[in-house]
Amino acid sequence: MPGIDALLDHPALWRGRSAAPAANASVWPSGHPALNRALGGGWPRGQLIELLGAPFGCGETRLLVPMLAACGREGYWIALLAPPATPWLPGWQPLGIPPERVLLIRTEHDRDTLWAGEQCLRDPAFGVLLAWLGGPVETALLRRLRLAAAESQACAILYRPPGAAEQPSPAHQRLHWRPDTDGLELHCLKGIGDWARSGQALHIPVP
Amino acid sequence: MALELPHLALETLARAEADRSRLTERPLLVVEASATPCVHAANRAARRAGARPGMALADALAILDTPELVEHDPQTQTTQIAMLAGVLLQFSDHVHPEPEARRILLEVGRSRRLFGGLAALRERVRETLKGLGFHPRIGVARSPTAARLLATLRNSAIPEDSEALRRTLSPVPLETLPLPAATREGLRAIGLRRLGDLLRLARPELARRHGPELLALLDRLLGRRTETLPRFDPPPELDLSLRLEHEIHATGALAFPLKRLLRQAEAHLRGLNRSLQGMTLELKHREAHARITATRMAPTRITLERGDPGIRAEDWLPLWQTRLEREVLPAPVIGLRLRATRLLDPPAQGASLLAETPGHPPSDAQLPAALARLSARLGEQAIVRLTASGIPRPEAAQGARHDLDAAATHPPPTPAQMICGTALWLQDPRPIPPPLQAHGLGRLEDGWWDRGQDVRRDYAVTRDRQGRRLWLYRCLRSGQWFRQGYWG
Repeated sequence: MPGIDALLDHPALWRGRSAAPAANASVWPSGHPALNRALGGGWPRGQLIELLGAPFGCGETRLLVPMLAACGREGYWIALLAPPATPWLPGWQPLGIPPERVLLIRTEHDRDTLWAGEQCLRDPAFGVLLAWLGGPVETALLRRLRLAAAESQACAILYRPPGAAEQPSPAHQRLHWRPDTDGLELHCLKGIGDWARSGQALHIPVP
Repeated sequence: MALELPHLALETLARAEADRSRLTERPLLVVEASATPCVHAANRAARRAGARPGMALADALAILDTPELVEHDPQTQTTQIAMLAGVLLQFSDHVHPEPEARRILLEVGRSRRLFGGLAALRERVRETLKGLGFHPRIGVARSPTAARLLATLRNSAIPEDSEALRRTLSPVPLETLPLPAATREGLRAIGLRRLGDLLRLARPELARRHGPELLALLDRLLGRRTETLPRFDPPPELDLSLRLEHEIHATGALAFPLKRLLRQAEAHLRGLNRSLQGMTLELKHREAHARITATRMAPTRITLERGDPGIRAEDWLPLWQTRLEREVLPAPVIGLRLRATRLLDPPAQGASLLAETPGHPPSDAQLPAALARLSARLGEQAIVRLTASGIPRPEAAQGARHDLDAAATHPPPTPAQMICGTALWLQDPRPIPPPLQAHGLGRLEDGWWDRGQDVRRDYAVTRDRQGRRLWLYRCLRSGQWFRQGYWG
C-alpha cells in the first residue's frame, strides 16, 4: 500500500478524477533554489505539510514569505488559523503580500482550527493555509484535512510542536525545523523524492 | 387566474405544527367567536363526523366527541393572504388579494408564454403553494369573475377563447352564481337551471325582468366587460413569523420550522425580485413563570450575514443550522420570526450551471464563500480581517474587521512604519532586559504634538538564546527595551 500511495502522490502522474492543473501551477515557489530542488519545484499545492519545531518566531513564517507573496499576487486568499501572535500587515505588505487577502481566524481549540482549515480548503478561493496547532490532535481529523487538501489547489501548512513527531500523521510531508546560526535547518521526516530518502539536513538561510 | 383557499385556517395551523397527527387524528374545529359562535373550519375527522363550516358551535359539539377548539383569527387570515399574494408576485405583476373570500386573483395573460402555457403555469403555482403548506383550488378563465366561479366549482378546464369559456360555463348550475336571492328565485320560477339556458335568452328581455345587475354579471363572466382590480403592493421588507404550537427545547429541532420560513422567504423575495445578504432570526420564548411574577423573556435575536447575496432556502438552511448549534436556548421556543430590512436591489443570480472551475483565482470583489460558514460556527469575532488605522505605532496600527462586506483598500505603510522593518508578528509591548547585540532598524517618532504622550523608539532585531528572532525597540525616553513582536 505505501507503494501505491507514493505512486499516486507522484507529481508526474495525472489522475483523471482531479481537475488537471497546469504543469507549473501545482507548486508555489519557495524562493530558495535548494529547497525548490528538495521539494520538487516548490511548496506543493494540494498537499498537507507539517512543519514541526519550536519556539515560535525563529523564522519559520519568514521561510514561507515567497510562497505567500506568489499566492497573493495571483489573487488567492491566505488563511492564518490560530497564530500565536497577530500578523503585522504593514510589515507583510513591503514583502509583496497583499494585506487585503490575508484572513485571520481565531479559534479556541485545535478541533475548531482543523474544522476551519477543512472549510477553507474546500473553498477554491484559498491558496495557502497556515494553521498552528498547540497539542496532540486526533488522526481522524488530520486525515479529513489531508483529504480536503488533496482535493484543493491550496498548500496547507500545519505548524506543530516538535513533540508531535512521535505521533504518526497522515500528512503528505513532514518537515522538522531547528533554528540555525543565520537561518533554519530542515529535516524531512516524511516525504517523497531523494531528499526524504537521503535523510540529510537542509540549511536554508532566512533573511 | 383565481386561487381559492378553502382550508386556509387549518393550513395556517398546520404550518405552525411540526406534528401533523395532532391535526388529523382528532376532530378539530376552528371557531368564530361571536354572540353565537359557529364553526369556521373543520378538519377531515370532524367533517366525517358531520361537522360543517357555518354550523352553530353548539350543534357541532353535540355530534363530535371532545373536539379540539381553536379560535379563528381574521387578522391572521388577512396576513396569510397578504403573504401569499407576495409569494404569487413571482408569477404576475398584477395580483389582487381578496382576504374576505380567502381568495387571490392573478392576471396571468401576460405571463403564460414565460411559463410555458397556462396549464404549466397552474401547476407551478400549485407546487409553489404546496411547498408552503397550502392547497388552493385554482380556476383559470378569461375574466376574473369566471375564474372565481371555476375555482369554487373545482373546474379544471382552461377556456382560452370566449367560445370555449361559453361552453365551459354552460353546464354550471345557476345556484352557484353570486346572485341576489330574489333574482335566483325568479330564474328558477321560469324553469332555468343552468347558465347555458340563461345565455340563450334575449338580453333586453332579461334586463327588463331581472334588472341590469344580472346582465352585468353575465358580461363580467364572459369577459365582455372589463373588470379592473387594484394591484397588490407588497411591503418592501421581509418579516415573516411562525407560531409554534409545541415548545421546542433543542436547537436541532428548530430546523423544521425554520426550513418552512426560509422557503417562504425565498418565495416572497422571488416575488419582490429582491435579494438579501443577511437576516435576523428572533426566537420567541415562553413566558417563564417565576414563583411570584410571570416575567416576559426577551426574544433571542440571532443575525446571520453571508458574503454573497442569495435567497435560496437550501443555501441558508445549513448556515442557520451551524449557527444555531452554537446557541443555547435560555427557555423553550414558542415562535420564530425572520426579518430582513435591508433587501438588495439586484436580483441574486441563481447558482451557475457549472461549478466554478478549480484553480481559477477568485474575483476581487468577492469574499470566499467559506467565510459565512466559518463565522456561523466560530462566531463573528473569530473571523478577522485587519485594516490599517493610520496610526504609525505598530501596536495601534491595525484595526480588526469582522463583517463580511467586500474587501477594503489598504494604504501602503507609512514611512515611519517602513523604518520599523518588515517584521511578521506583532505583540503588545513587553519589557525585556537589554539585548547583547541588536541590529538597528530605525527610529519611530509619533505623538510629538501631544505633550507627554510622545513616542520615540529605536527599532532593532535580535536573536535570543532559543534562536527566536525578536523585534524590539528601545524607548528613548526611559532607555527601557521592549519586545514588539517576532521578526519571523
